[in-house]
Amino acid sequence: MISQIFILSSKGDHLIYKDFRGEASKDSINVFYEMVTALSGDQPPVVMTHKDHHFIHVRQGGLYWVASTKTNPSPFTIIEFLNRLAALTKDYCGSLSEKSVRMNFALIYELLDEMVDFGYIQTTSTDILKNFIQTEAVSSKPFSLFDLSNVGLFGAETQQSKVAPSVAASRPIMSSRGEQGGKNEIFVDVIERLSVVIGSNGVLMKADIQGEIRIKCFLPTCSEMRIGLNEELNIGKSQLKGYSSAVRVDECRFHQAVKLDEFDTFRILKVCPSQGEQTVMQYQLCDELLCAPPFQLFPSVEKDYVNRVLIFLKLRCDLPPKSTALNVSITVPVPKGSVSMSQELSSPDQTAELQPKSKALLWEIPRFPGGAQLSALFKVDVPGLSSASLLEVGPVSMSFELPKQTCTGLQIRFLRLSPTQTGLSQRWVRYVTHSDSYTIRI
Amino acid sequence: MTDSKYFTTTKKGEIFELKAELNSDKKEKKKEAVKKVIASMTVGKDVSALFPDVVNCMQTDNLELKKLVYLYLMNYAKSQPDMAIMAVNTFVKDCEDPNPLIRALAVRTMGCIRVDKITEYLCEPLRKCLKDEDPYVRKTAAVCVAKLHDINAQLVEDQGFLDTLKDLISDSNPMVVANAVAALSEIAESHPNSNLLDLNPQTINKLLTALNECTEWGQIFILDCLANYTPRDDRESQSICERVTPRLSHANSAVVLSAVKVLMKFMEMLPKDLDYYGTLLKKLAPPLVTLLSAEPELQYVALRNINLIVQKRPEILKHEMKVFFVKYNDPIYVKLEKLDIMIRLASQANIAQVLAELKEYATEVDVDFVRKAVRAIGRCAIKVEQSAERCVSTLLDLIQTKVNYVVQEAIVVIKDIFRKYPNKYESVIATLCENLDSLDEPEARAAMIWIVGEYAERIDNADELLESFLEGFHDESTQVQLQLLTAIVKLFLKKPTETQELVQQVLSLATQDSDNPDLRDRGYIYWRLLSTDPVAAKEVVLAEKPLISEETDLIEPTLLEELICHIGTLASVYHKPPSAFVEGSRGVQHRRIPPRAGSVESAESPEVGQSGPSEAPSAVIPSQGDLLGDLLNLDLAPPTTTVPSVQPSMQMGAMDLLGGGLDSLMGDESDTLGGDIGGSPSMGAGLGAAPTAMPAALGGVPPVGGGLGDLFDLGGGVGMPTGFYVVPKTLWLPAMKAKGLEISGTFARRGGIIQMDMSLTNKAMSVMTDFAIQFNRNSFGLAPAGPLQVLTPLSPNQTIDVSLPLSTTGPVMKMEPLNNLQVAVKNNIDVFYFSCQFPLSLLFVEDGKMERQVFLATWKDIPNDNEAQFQIKDIHLNSDAASNKLQGSNIFTIAKRTVEGQDMLYQSIKLTNSIWVLAEMRVQTGNPNYTLSIKCRAPEVCQFVYQCYEMVLKN
Repeated sequence: MISQIFILSSKGDHLIYKDFRGEASKDSINVFYEMVTALSGDQPPVVMTHKDHHFIHVRQGGLYWVASTKTNPSPFTIIEFLNRLAALTKDYCGSLSEKSVRMNFALIYELLDEMVDFGYIQTTSTDILKNFIQTEAVSSKPFSLFDLSNVGLFGAETQQSKVAPSVAASRPIMSSRGEQGGKNEIFVDVIERLSVVIGSNGVLMKADIQGEIRIKCFLPTCSEMRIGLNEELNIGKSQLKGYSSAVRVDECRFHQAVKLDEFDTFRILKVCPSQGEQTVMQYQLCDELLCAPPFQLFPSVEKDYVNRVLIFLKLRCDLPPKSTALNVSITVPVPKGSVSMSQELSSPDQTAELQPKSKALLWEIPRFPGGAQLSALFKVDVPGLSSASLLEVGPVSMSFELPKQTCTGLQIRFLRLSPTQTGLSQRWVRYVTHSDSYTIRI
Repeated sequence: MTDSKYFTTTKKGEIFELKAELNSDKKEKKKEAVKKVIASMTVGKDVSALFPDVVNCMQTDNLELKKLVYLYLMNYAKSQPDMAIMAVNTFVKDCEDPNPLIRALAVRTMGCIRVDKITEYLCEPLRKCLKDEDPYVRKTAAVCVAKLHDINAQLVEDQGFLDTLKDLISDSNPMVVANAVAALSEIAESHPNSNLLDLNPQTINKLLTALNECTEWGQIFILDCLANYTPRDDRESQSICERVTPRLSHANSAVVLSAVKVLMKFMEMLPKDLDYYGTLLKKLAPPLVTLLSAEPELQYVALRNINLIVQKRPEILKHEMKVFFVKYNDPIYVKLEKLDIMIRLASQANIAQVLAELKEYATEVDVDFVRKAVRAIGRCAIKVEQSAERCVSTLLDLIQTKVNYVVQEAIVVIKDIFRKYPNKYESVIATLCENLDSLDEPEARAAMIWIVGEYAERIDNADELLESFLEGFHDESTQVQLQLLTAIVKLFLKKPTETQELVQQVLSLATQDSDNPDLRDRGYIYWRLLSTDPVAAKEVVLAEKPLISEETDLIEPTLLEELICHIGTLASVYHKPPSAFVEGSRGVQHRRIPPRAGSVESAESPEVGQSGPSEAPSAVIPSQGDLLGDLLNLDLAPPTTTVPSVQPSMQMGAMDLLGGGLDSLMGDESDTLGGDIGGSPSMGAGLGAAPTAMPAALGGVPPVGGGLGDLFDLGGGVGMPTGFYVVPKTLWLPAMKAKGLEISGTFARRGGIIQMDMSLTNKAMSVMTDFAIQFNRNSFGLAPAGPLQVLTPLSPNQTIDVSLPLSTTGPVMKMEPLNNLQVAVKNNIDVFYFSCQFPLSLLFVEDGKMERQVFLATWKDIPNDNEAQFQIKDIHLNSDAASNKLQGSNIFTIAKRTVEGQDMLYQSIKLTNSIWVLAEMRVQTGNPNYTLSIKCRAPEVCQFVYQCYEMVLKN
């Protein structure tokens, strides 16, 4: 059972404080802040204890969202709840920041009152909540098409600003009652996270994909939406694959509002989207990739002169030629004694630097078209170089994003609203794949 | 317009301004003012002065304003209880409002105002709201019952709210059901024995139906409640499992984990040959794997839970090894947890994969992680025999990297591998020896020294190597010193000719120049062993060591069972039972997994045993035994030294082993050796790795020929003095056992000072001098408060009386019997040991008279289980005389009551260690037998208190 909930700014200012059970004092806020700021990097930060008081917190939007308890509740429940609370705050206030929380404190108190009673979580669904909430949200900034700082897919930063009307995605879902502000829009995003380990011999050792389908809905009235996925989608490990390039996932989980009566035969998800953001489906695929991994690396590491290591990296992007990978960055750990580095890169928009703190070199490529191949040569000076320190080079890790791509091949065939909306409703479907952990061993 | 202006800085007279605004006629202005007040409240300003003004705003039909006012009320009502009453009328009125939102709001807020006076006004509205037509009101009212119970439990019971709450379990609305279940669960926790949440198949069925309909949070309440239910048979268990399984694919990980908890618990009841059992096992894996795709914080929590599940049922995840491979961007705490699970899952089938991964990890940058990875390789070798060879070669590769901490870790684990597979991988010793210089951590040095000592006969320059360590002997840590001592003795026994000098050097370093009792004692033991019987020494020191077991850090099975019942809670993150961190009685109930259904049990049990992870192969002694095996061998095995050594079961083990050990040690020569072995008075401080186990062992050794054991037979069962009455001295140490020294003695308490009166008699032919005394640790920390004052030498046939003042601040260790005291007396001839028993009345302090009220409360507070009854026979005293007599021994009569010719005396006693003993003594006129009831939080003292009563009353 939750005893208190509070929201703190990154500097420790009290933004919201609510006590549900009267069993702890307000001092616990300061106790928490001291503990969380004193935490070192290798300690698990989730659950902290002070005497018989337990704090569970998440960080979202640069704020601490904290619940305290004196009993033995489920940390999952509380972490999920805090994440929902942050998401709801974002839905209601448009964005998540110290400013927006400060401006809407009355609204957040009201939300908390309805969401938690005596420490028992009651509901987090916008459909239910909208019946109770009286306070109107105050928006932190006027909408401006020129405001590019806020460009991004919700929940996933990307450079797709040209494609998606991102500004719209960060406005409050609950526009003033009675008047219809904004358009009737619905966004459906397919987001995948890819983790791959490629062995030193170039063989794919491990590949996992975690994906989710998220919707953000601005439709004022709740109508049923049908999301059609690839018909040939297979679920589970045991199913036989046909000759066609079937799309397969190991396991999937659904939001409880999703109706699955047409899923088994037609792969159609039926959902009445609540206003706001929600994840309708999560899925994963282990140990198998339908396409080749997006990047192949051909490294060579040599000892040059007495105190110099030559690292030659050839990187090939195996995406289809029309696609492009964005924000590719490659990190190569170098021997601990490294002092300086010189590099030869193939184009001026790339950068590379030696990061003295983490003892790694970082090579960044803003755009990397499919089918292309780039190479780079790094000369690292290491005083007192021994042959053992060559072993310290590697493994290489990469991060990137692949817009308009899904690695499982999962697609959304159609998006139908029924009954058909009278007003113009815009439907957006977006795909993106992010690297989660992409490691290439040397 | 934005609300941020509410947070602008304080101006003078702000409160005054707000007051004016609150009393304004305009609604908008009022609302703005209340908002400002709440903003100030949030940042911690005191705005309680505005209480009456805010309450005035309460009567409004504007819901938004009303909510704001209620928010304020909840915060300040407690500090202004009188004012809060002003609000009651509005609350009561609001509970009748046609708008269900307002009804619910009023009842919710009233419950949050924790003021006693308000609660009585709350009852009627609450009763109505519990039967309200609107489910929103009903669900709020259900929670309100829990709130009220928290403030005034008696009121809730008297008003019959609990029955209404039980009825709500059958409500048509799932939200109401969920809240009723949550409220009942909480109330039931504070009444552990009540049958509040009467779970029977009907209610379970209702809950399972509601499970499908209610919100995700409600599902969690219901699942948690289900987990407390014990199904009647395996069929019911299966049907519940079937209905819970769909929750495993819920998007909310909290729901998933709660479902896993229910399934893990109920699975225990299913017969293993059932098809459904296998199906269930398969269904559990994917949701657990999915949990690992969450953000690192949730991953960590999930991994801690998976760690428990893997220990309980490794078969669930045995094919999922790969998901536990670490990612380079995992935070370190996630990496370490994953590594732990990887080792638990390692088996012959996947060992190649695991090893390849571990080898990669060993070259990463994070030092802690690298260390753990290297250790993991060693653990794999020990766990999966087929892989041992590859593990060793992997470790050798790692040693070649010459990275300092990698080398050290590798050596530590190779030592463990040697212990598991003796005489198999000695070829690597040469490589290890090359790295001797780079070792700077005690654990690695100790491990290396152990290896050199153990395989001294195969290392040509073993003596040189060990000698090099000896140079800085005093700068080494104890661990290394002990190890070095043992290794050199081993070397000496193997190559006696070349190493005599070395062994003498180390023995003198250990015994003469060291302040460390462990080291000194071990040195003495070796020394005497070597000088008396080299053959026996060889047998002892070079004895075959028990093999080490594979899993050293498994959670103890009973704890594991309890933790499994708490999957998904904080307990599963801390790996501690909830009672360890939750205050008070709440949640302290120990939960157990239900036993398997009766009919299946007998057929099943052998298989259960095999599948349990705690079951070690019979040839291998589990780690605690391992420690003791080491004790015998006097070897220090670093990985096991951390095993807590105070559990009684272990001490038992230690007794046996040592009993046997000493037995064989002493054999024929027990006369000399038995006397010699205690050469150092601090012997009792412990040998080797288990200092606390040793003294107990000494006390527990059965009589061995003429050895140590005899000494302990002497002190028992003597009448003891009390208060002003001192029992005549009894013989504690006969002259025969102590080379002519005879000691008799007794105990007394004089003016609050405990004294040990002794008569020392010299029955030998020569003069005795240099007397000294020392006590072993004992139950009440008795220790000499000063030296033994025997100033003049004791000539033959002379007797001297000494009185030794005692303190109760010495080291404490529970003895058997509780009042046993082991004493060592030294003189110029030798050291002698005896044990005696002191009367507990020695420890009754003068300020032991308890206040009457305190007595009553304490008497009630001590559970009845702790009460002991005794009969004191043949006492011909009336109650007053008895009371006076007892007072002399600091047993105080607090009250006396006469009921039907029977006198009841209520008495209290306080021990030196602040334990209170309460007693009720019944004296019937004309009946020489008294009845004595004794209550104490430490029930083991009752027996001895009774002995004191008897002794005092009879003398």
